[in-house]
Amino acid sequence: MATTTATITLASSDIGDNAISISNTATLTTAGTDTGLTETTGLGRKKFASNSNIILLDHGLAGGIAQDVTADKSAKVYVRNINDRGDGTKFVNILLAAVEIGRLYGGDWMFIPWSGGSGKDIEFTASDTTETTLEYTVFYE
Amino acid sequence: MATTTATITLSSADLLSDNLSLSATMSLNQGNTTATGLEQFRMERMVLPTGTQFDLIEATTAATEDANYMYICNKNTDVTDYVIISIKDEVIGRLYAGDWMFFPWDADVVDLDANDSAVEAQAFTHEAILEYCLFHNGETRPTSDDS
Repeated sequence: MATTTATITLASSDIGDNAISISNTATLTTAGTDTGLTETTGLGRKKFASNSNIILLDHGLAGGIAQDVTADKSAKVYVRNINDRGDGTKFVNILLAAVEIGRLYGGDWMFIPWSGGSGKDIEFTASDTTETTLEYTVFYE
Repeated sequence: MATTTATITLSSADLLSDNLSLSATMSLNQGNTTATGLEQFRMERMVLPTGTQFDLIEATTAATEDANYMYICNKNTDVTDYVIISIKDEVIGRLYAGDWMFFPWDADVVDLDANDSAVEAQAFTHEAILEYCLFHNGETRPTSDDS
């Protein structure tokens, strides 16, 4: 059994009258247990220059890792847009099964649980054809 | 302008044959700007009963097509307890006890299939103690019935 942790820290000294500091650590476990996740894609990096919809994690890919991720299992996905923020107008829309989750601007990251299943691919669509680089990893059972 | 940062650290000494150590920090900026920080946030700790899917955060026109970020943490301690988080009735995933998630949020009021982009949550096994924080660039407030 492996022990993998994900820690988040949200901090600001001036968004409110008082500083905020939120920190939490999650230990990544299999569904409904305290047994650590033992599989990962490792960290991947992909460059692309298209504003078409692209599948990042394909649940329907035979033999692919996403095939192991089903709704009743535990999986965590990390995605980061490595690009510089630039003028702030370029972003990557992250979608799950064609439903838009939100925009990752340059430098932004996200970390979500993932309930796989038929058609539940994780996809992205860039705001334009500027070359964009994403880093991503999946931890799963 | 406010400066708010979000840092993630992923680490493991025994998942791979070598140590895993990944860290990334981002600034929470408004959309279509170079470095103007978000200046509004909403934070809550709540108890979510089982049996029904609730809107945790309702979609809001003012935040549409912009940068908004959502943090949710399941504060339960029983490892079998979980909360399903969805958008537009599409399940993103299960937050088990102790799990957290952080993601950019598309706040469109009307989008695909005319469903709004509310962040939905449903607790299973037991009621769930949730903490969440939304960093955003504006919310459209409902008009008071008393006005």
